[in-house]
Amino acid sequence: MEALNQRDDNELIHSLLDTAERAEKYLSNRSFSEVRTVPESREALRGFALELGATAEETSEMLRNWTTHVPWDELLALRHGAEVAERDEAALHGLWDFLQRELPAVHAALEEMSEPPHLRRSVDPDEEYALDKNLNDFYLPGGRDLLARTEEFHGWVEARRRTETWQYSRLLDAAPGSVASIRNDTGRATRGINFNSQDYFSLNAHPAIREAAAQALREFGPHSAGSPIVLGNTRYSEALESELGELLHMEHVMLFPTGWAAGFGSIIGLVRQEDHVVIDKLAHACLQQGARAATRNVVRFEHLRLESVRQHLQAIRARDSRNGILVVTDGLFSVDADWPDLVTLQALCREYDATLLVDVAHDLGALGPGGSGVLGMQGLLGQVDLVMGSFSKTFASNGGFLATRSEAVKQYVKLFAGTHLFSNALSPTQAAVVLRATRIVRSPEGELLRRRLFRAIHALRDELIGRGRTCMGEPSPIVPLLMGNEKLARITNRLLFDRGVLAFLVEFPVTPVGSARFRLQVQAAHTPEEARTAARIIDEAINDARAYMSSAFGTGLA
Amino acid sequence: MFDIIVIGARCAGATTAMLLARKGLKVLVVDRSTFPSDVISTHFLWPHGASYLNRWGLLDRVLEVTPSHTVVNLVNEGIPLEGTVPEELLRQYFQLFHGDDSGIVQRYCSVRRRVLDKLLVDAAVEAGAEVREGFAVDELLEEDGRVVGIRGRTRDGTRVEERARVILGADGRNSFVARTLRLPKFDERLKCTFAYWTYVSGIPLDTVHIHRRGRLGLGLVPTNFGQHMVLVFGPSEWGTTFRRDVPGNFQKALDFISPELGELVRGGQREERFYGTLDQAAFLRPLFGPGWVLAGDAACFRDQCTATGMSHAFRDAELVSTALEEGLSGRKPLEEALKSSYESRRRGQVASAYYDFVCTLAEMRPPRHDDLSLYVALRSNPQETNRFIATMCDVAPVADFFQASNIFLLTDVAKESSSQHPIFERFEATSRTYLQNPFA
Repeated sequence: MEALNQRDDNELIHSLLDTAERAEKYLSNRSFSEVRTVPESREALRGFALELGATAEETSEMLRNWTTHVPWDELLALRHGAEVAERDEAALHGLWDFLQRELPAVHAALEEMSEPPHLRRSVDPDEEYALDKNLNDFYLPGGRDLLARTEEFHGWVEARRRTETWQYSRLLDAAPGSVASIRNDTGRATRGINFNSQDYFSLNAHPAIREAAAQALREFGPHSAGSPIVLGNTRYSEALESELGELLHMEHVMLFPTGWAAGFGSIIGLVRQEDHVVIDKLAHACLQQGARAATRNVVRFEHLRLESVRQHLQAIRARDSRNGILVVTDGLFSVDADWPDLVTLQALCREYDATLLVDVAHDLGALGPGGSGVLGMQGLLGQVDLVMGSFSKTFASNGGFLATRSEAVKQYVKLFAGTHLFSNALSPTQAAVVLRATRIVRSPEGELLRRRLFRAIHALRDELIGRGRTCMGEPSPIVPLLMGNEKLARITNRLLFDRGVLAFLVEFPVTPVGSARFRLQVQAAHTPEEARTAARIIDEAINDARAYMSSAFGTGLA
Repeated sequence: MFDIIVIGARCAGATTAMLLARKGLKVLVVDRSTFPSDVISTHFLWPHGASYLNRWGLLDRVLEVTPSHTVVNLVNEGIPLEGTVPEELLRQYFQLFHGDDSGIVQRYCSVRRRVLDKLLVDAAVEAGAEVREGFAVDELLEEDGRVVGIRGRTRDGTRVEERARVILGADGRNSFVARTLRLPKFDERLKCTFAYWTYVSGIPLDTVHIHRRGRLGLGLVPTNFGQHMVLVFGPSEWGTTFRRDVPGNFQKALDFISPELGELVRGGQREERFYGTLDQAAFLRPLFGPGWVLAGDAACFRDQCTATGMSHAFRDAELVSTALEEGLSGRKPLEEALKSSYESRRRGQVASAYYDFVCTLAEMRPPRHDDLSLYVALRSNPQETNRFIATMCDVAPVADFFQASNIFLLTDVAKESSSQHPIFERFEATSRTYLQNPFA
């Protein structure tokens, strides 16, 4: 047991450093022959060795075993060496040798241990701050001044803008095709292969779509001039509802001004405070927020894990046989590119008297036979309780819908979903565009576009995977390239901006902390060659970012 | 000729040697120390750490001489949280890393290294590994760019040379193997904590207490010999002023963080000197190359602030021994085995998120309003409190907790409000005072 009153190691290290400094200074302009022949010098040398040896002996075993790069055995031997060196020439030479040759390295090692390490290196404080934080650090600010308390967040945004690691709020300078000309939010322009837009069939540039828009504009003007519940709908809206109903094999469809409004509204329209929502933890934000707005009884289940749904349903039904349960999931998940087994999920819901709501925003039109999406792929058309979606991915417009087999449900949600009732309707142009797009999706041309889209998807995924990268999920218009670490992802994104690839970096709150990824959204207009070129550029940018940050992460993403 | 020579016979080395010897490989393990022997360490085992010992049949021996407990107490700015790593998450962890969740226990213990390391060395010997204590390695033998053996000195100074198919560097933060091979350091994070600690008897607490206030933290942990480890930590840039008066500043810090615990420590009897370090910059090194592999702190070092070093060393031991056995038995090419069974689990997105988590914590910035609000929300939610504790010690992925739908929902259903906690009264002003170095 070591004595209570021994000095602590840092004090001892300082004492060693002090002796080392004096010894180095003393020896710097002396030769061994002087030390050997001048008694004063010999005594001084022995004195330094004695001091060093005695102090080393006092250090703790803990410290010595931790700092294995310091030659403690030699330091400990100095004391004995110094005693012998009074008479022994070889011992004296041994001391001289150690102090001349080894001491500077010991000195450096001890110094490094005793000074705060970050003072050793200067870093760009902006870049450090920009890379270090995540949005969740700013979620719950304090203070009663609602306006002033956004300043800290803004300071971080500014740091990210200054270091060009802020991926948000980019601007288009021209229509976003397979290539786009854009500016970042500091106003710097670039042009690149565009995986940053959501237009899976590239319908935004389709002549028939543009013509439909122009015709509706001429006919009705730009404005719908009212809520859909009053007089905001046109005959385009009516035709669209019935066309979508045919695509989905569901008789009753209602329209919302945005996809977000459809998701949020469908849940708050139906679910009340005592009801329950059981929701996939990665389901879209409009569904999560709708659930939270509707009830406090929200349970999140592990992504796609139906066994966990069953457990939750069982548990809820064991204590509540009176209220409703809404089970909520995406079809194609928008940042993971996978989908649930809906056949089993719908059956589970029936077993426990729960209702299933599926968000088909990303898959309807782009996947499945005749554009029927994940529902069509699983043979479930017309068999799922509630289907909602958005037009903004494949159907070239804002807007969303809810589809049901029940007229009662449709009428009820119309009046109880505030996002429908208290919002201006889709514009006539939007309704006409989506109507035309739905017809294209269901036509032979739609089949052709899907084939072209998937050729580009496969080219992109194959090239990335062939280069050792991790593409998550299943082949679909969303190709999530896993990065994991946000710092690495932000630097990669900065490099990509100037190298001709436009990719969207998703991080918290879209993904969990530590699960950043590039969400590459493919279009039918992308050629396989463009996709391969982009994959090559992305791969090189990741390598360069890792070298820039001297990072070992990202080798075994799982 | 050995199958493997392990350099370093402590948490990563002795255990890997033991596991490989149990698989029938011919193992030599050397260490410059003779055991029992102490080394700087948090010497804390989280439940996954204790579970590894249990899986290997060693936990009972540790618990015979070491107190253990089943919950942790965290207090941030006076907001208390109590909980434990849930069994379900522990199972998921062991399934994910090792495909086998046998032997898990929900125990925490703090075991002095002069107790634990001796026990591990003995277990390696029992398993049939050849252990040479007091052995100093001077050189690595290299042939055709491949490490093939070591040259060193035994306790009595005899020079010896030994050869093996693979050399494992389990020789700590300042690894001889890494320095000799001039391996680079990756992802260096220089901001870290200073930590000072000592051992005190007569403290009537039987679970681990971790408190944070401002930029300072304390740990009070029951350990061997009827003593508690008492630990104070803060930002490394305050370490240089702290050490001007260690006993005085130590008590000052305790009293600042928690007057009650400060009083408890004052009433106890200090049994050893103070120990301290601020040499804790985090880094990663490459995990393997021709003829060599690294494990434990040699491969990845992080700040003490989450006390996960030993639990991670044990994890490395299980992973790397599985990979080495696959490779050395010829079932897989060695490099492929190390890549798929070792590197992929140590350098993936889960590992990188945790690395960032610890390095950010180690900067010891004053708690953010966000953090504290979250702790208040957690107070009425034992399930998520437990997930948070599991996240802190790297049993549950950071991503599972810090996920938007989870965090939003957590705060939605919170039953307690900030009004019950004084820190929120003058939060900004208080935060500003926290930036002042109290030891200056």
